[in-house]
Amino acid sequence: MNLDVYRIADEPYYQPLGHEIATFQAAYAERLPVMLKGPTGCGKTRFVEHMAWRLGKPLITVAAHEDMTAADLAGRYLLEPQGTVWHDGPLTLAVRHGAICYLDEIVEARQDTTVVIHPLTDARRILPLEKHNEIVPAHGDFQLTISYNPGYQSAVKDLKESTKQRFVAIDFFYPPPATEAAIIVRESGTDDKLAGILVAIAQRSRNLQGHGLDEGASTRMLIHAGRMVHAGLPLDVAVQSSIVLPITDNPDIRAALSDAIQACLP
Amino acid sequence: MNAAKQATLHLVPPDEEDSATRRIHRLMLQRETLRPMFLVAWDDLSHRFDVNELEAWAGAVLTLAHVNAGPACLIAYWETSKSGGAADRQEIAPLLVAGQMAADICRNAGARAATAALQALPVATRVFGSGPALARWWRTMELLARQAPESVAPAADNIAAILGPGTIDAFENFVATGLKFASGNRVRRLAFFRLENDLARRMIARDLGSVTFLETEIELKAFVTALWGKPPLLRSFAADNSQAPQRRTSIAGPLIRLPETFRGVQGDAARALFRAAAAHAQAHLVLGNGLFPVGTLKPLQIALVNLIEDARIETLALRQLPGLRRLWAPYHVATPSGVVAAPTLMARLARALFDPAYVDDDSFVAKGRAMFQAALPRIDDPAISREIGVLLGNDLGQMRVQFNVKTYVVEPVYRDDGLGLWDFGENAPPSGEVMELPVDAVRMERQEASDGNSSEPDEQGEALGRGQPVAPDERGTVIAKYPEWDRADGIERPEWTIVREVAARAGDPRLIEAALDHADALRSRIGRLVRGVRIGRTIRLNRQHDGHDIDIDAALDAGIALRTGQEPDPRVFRSSTSMHRDLAALLLIDVSESTRDRLATGATILEVERLAVAVLAEAMGRLGDPFGLLAFASDGREDVRMTMIKSFEEPYDRSCIARLAGLRSGLSTRLGAALRHAGKVIAKANSGRKLLIVLTDGEPSDIDVSDPLDLVEDARRAARGLKNAGTDAYGVVLGKTGIQAASRIFGRGNTMMVHRIEDLPGRLSELYFRLARR
Repeated sequence: MNLDVYRIADEPYYQPLGHEIATFQAAYAERLPVMLKGPTGCGKTRFVEHMAWRLGKPLITVAAHEDMTAADLAGRYLLEPQGTVWHDGPLTLAVRHGAICYLDEIVEARQDTTVVIHPLTDARRILPLEKHNEIVPAHGDFQLTISYNPGYQSAVKDLKESTKQRFVAIDFFYPPPATEAAIIVRESGTDDKLAGILVAIAQRSRNLQGHGLDEGASTRMLIHAGRMVHAGLPLDVAVQSSIVLPITDNPDIRAALSDAIQACLP
Repeated sequence: MNAAKQATLHLVPPDEEDSATRRIHRLMLQRETLRPMFLVAWDDLSHRFDVNELEAWAGAVLTLAHVNAGPACLIAYWETSKSGGAADRQEIAPLLVAGQMAADICRNAGARAATAALQALPVATRVFGSGPALARWWRTMELLARQAPESVAPAADNIAAILGPGTIDAFENFVATGLKFASGNRVRRLAFFRLENDLARRMIARDLGSVTFLETEIELKAFVTALWGKPPLLRSFAADNSQAPQRRTSIAGPLIRLPETFRGVQGDAARALFRAAAAHAQAHLVLGNGLFPVGTLKPLQIALVNLIEDARIETLALRQLPGLRRLWAPYHVATPSGVVAAPTLMARLARALFDPAYVDDDSFVAKGRAMFQAALPRIDDPAISREIGVLLGNDLGQMRVQFNVKTYVVEPVYRDDGLGLWDFGENAPPSGEVMELPVDAVRMERQEASDGNSSEPDEQGEALGRGQPVAPDERGTVIAKYPEWDRADGIERPEWTIVREVAARAGDPRLIEAALDHADALRSRIGRLVRGVRIGRTIRLNRQHDGHDIDIDAALDAGIALRTGQEPDPRVFRSSTSMHRDLAALLLIDVSESTRDRLATGATILEVERLAVAVLAEAMGRLGDPFGLLAFASDGREDVRMTMIKSFEEPYDRSCIARLAGLRSGLSTRLGAALRHAGKVIAKANSGRKLLIVLTDGEPSDIDVSDPLDLVEDARRAARGLKNAGTDAYGVVLGKTGIQAASRIFGRGNTMMVHRIEDLPGRLSELYFRLARR
């Protein structure tokens, strides 16, 4: 089967912050599974796309969710006029034909679902499909990457120890202010000065992390704000609509954040 | 207005022999000392009022004389009546009302009280005018005379302060609160109306429309945290209502102490001022570096070093957050004019250093500005504040301008008093009220450090959050204060109830274990319920109309049916359902005196409650649901006792059973406070659904509340607060007496009545499983 639709033609922009590209390349060379950790909107997904492009491999992305079952990953029988027909799931597709399989926000899936990846992530590198009575050996190009946001972590949503310990981890965080400003300029088309203000605003919201906010404004949020300004919206309105309003519903925190943002505006 | 009505009855023509006018004049003939003053007043009045009005007035004087008001009171009344007096000159009615009311007060509280009330009248008239508000003031004074005769005089003597808030509602509320606060205790009442009591002082400090620290604290804390990433430790100090300048924010170690209210600043302006003050103070803590040693500096030099340091810190802050200029600028209102005195010059310098556009030709201001400009390259170095401040202090000293350390306050109003920046060393701080503050502040800091963890400001629940952590005292560990709803006055009285944690006594766990053994049948029934709702992981549902997967067997059957020409069963899918449980429960157990009653079986109500709780706790423990057990009783509003039998964190083990066995009956049922506290306890549980089950044997009551309806309404309000905070509260009522109250409090659907109290163990567990399944 041809996985060309999963190939990434143009280079996705990614601004390296540390050794993450080298780490991923090394892990890929050894076909070790990789875990990307970090808060939302700090570039995990973009990084995977960039690496898939850099390595020239197709990328199959699955967004995990609570109702996801093992069948959603591995595949299932569907009924067709002639009878039942087996359909590979996205994971099986990647395993069989050699792609990078990216399971986004893996903790959202239930723990018993995620154990299907266990035989793939150790020396066996196989995917048993018991319903199809088949064992799929992993293609040479196959690699598994998962992401998760430790910020959500609670007793309910965490990876099993046996899952965690199979991965090489890369930690992501918000870039340093100058880098983040450069990213905002590159992605939203705003000027340096505005990007600097947006980064200062983001810092205010990140200060509130754990003190009223679960997470501060992400780089993605700042890019959105920058794009709103680029589209002609005044800065304070853009910040209000793309940062303050989405991030919290608590009126006290909202007021405090708005006031703190005012303190950043010249 | 019945007094006014009564007064009009005196308006009869004075031609009869026994007219009041004649009688009062006859009476005065016998009173040598009083007569001259009476005649002066009469003369004054007769110029303004006609005969009938004078007759009525004379009647009022007679009334006062008949109730033995005494010479002082009569003189006070005459003074009030004179044209220079406060009463409305055009109208006789207010004077008649005053006379009537003074007489009423005199009957109930004595001549001294009536005199004081009349002497307070000018102040009240100034505040309320002579309209209906003044009549309400009189009625409230009269009410006070009836209910707390000894307190009329102190209240009247302090009337100017008490009327500080400026509305009649506030005054009525003040008196009502005072009466309730003391709950019959004269000494406490006196302390309250003499304003020797904190609550009294705080009530009059709060003018209407002003924003209190408590109201803005959450927002303020988040704002300052957002600015610098360091959560501030904010505290408030009681606002005073004196005429002295607004006391400034102060820094004490890591603490920022803000006034409870900024006097005379209201609404958004007050919120902005709180933000400005907190941002400035935290800027010191974040951007400043360490304390300045006092050494041999004079107060004026200290004040100037503070001023420069303020400017330095704000310059640094503005470099990071330029928008703060908009926050602080409105308070810099100094103008380059006016009297040349140290405080004004310093305010002008403060503005000059803050506002580059400000023009001021004064040589002192210009010099300060120039020196600060020159030091800008070293702005990160706190030493410049000391260098410049000391030099400027010398200059100002040589200018021989007035500087009074006792009356000096830092300008503008949002800045802190600066004393938190100094290390006063071993030496006692110089005398003077301002200089005493740091000592006070340090003491406070130590106090709070000792009860440390529990009062961490982070944990303040928002919805139920008005509970204030307070220090322990001799009657047990005080854990919180809660407001209480006052049904009669329709307001919530803040910090009205004091909740104390009473350590649980350990009883003999074997008592309960034996009771459990006797209830074996019940336990096995509950055991089946437990298995029914046990975390079932994922339950697969076969042969469904829709689902995420094909039920292969059903699909094959359907395929066969199709090929044999029969109608296939369309249910060829299978789905799954998650039996995930995310429930925390708190059991609130009433252990008031009435639970001592014995039932027909010989067991006390408390024993049945204990067994019921033990059975349910066992089931919840097996289910793995987080749960807590809390017992409560009360002895007046200042002594609501909570006993933690099992907290959410600890496992249900034998020590919990022992504590359960150790429960004793006693005291009363102040349900509202218990509900508020339970709400705070369960708020910490990390579960999607929160369930509070209250076991009670009747309607709320307490020794200091005469009408149980008051407590019912308060508990109803507390229950509503719980609902708003996302906690489901259920009342389980034992016996038949409390059902009306309970359904009023929890709502009909959330109340379960247990007629036969012996049935409680089974019914309670059934209720839990019914609720847990929802």
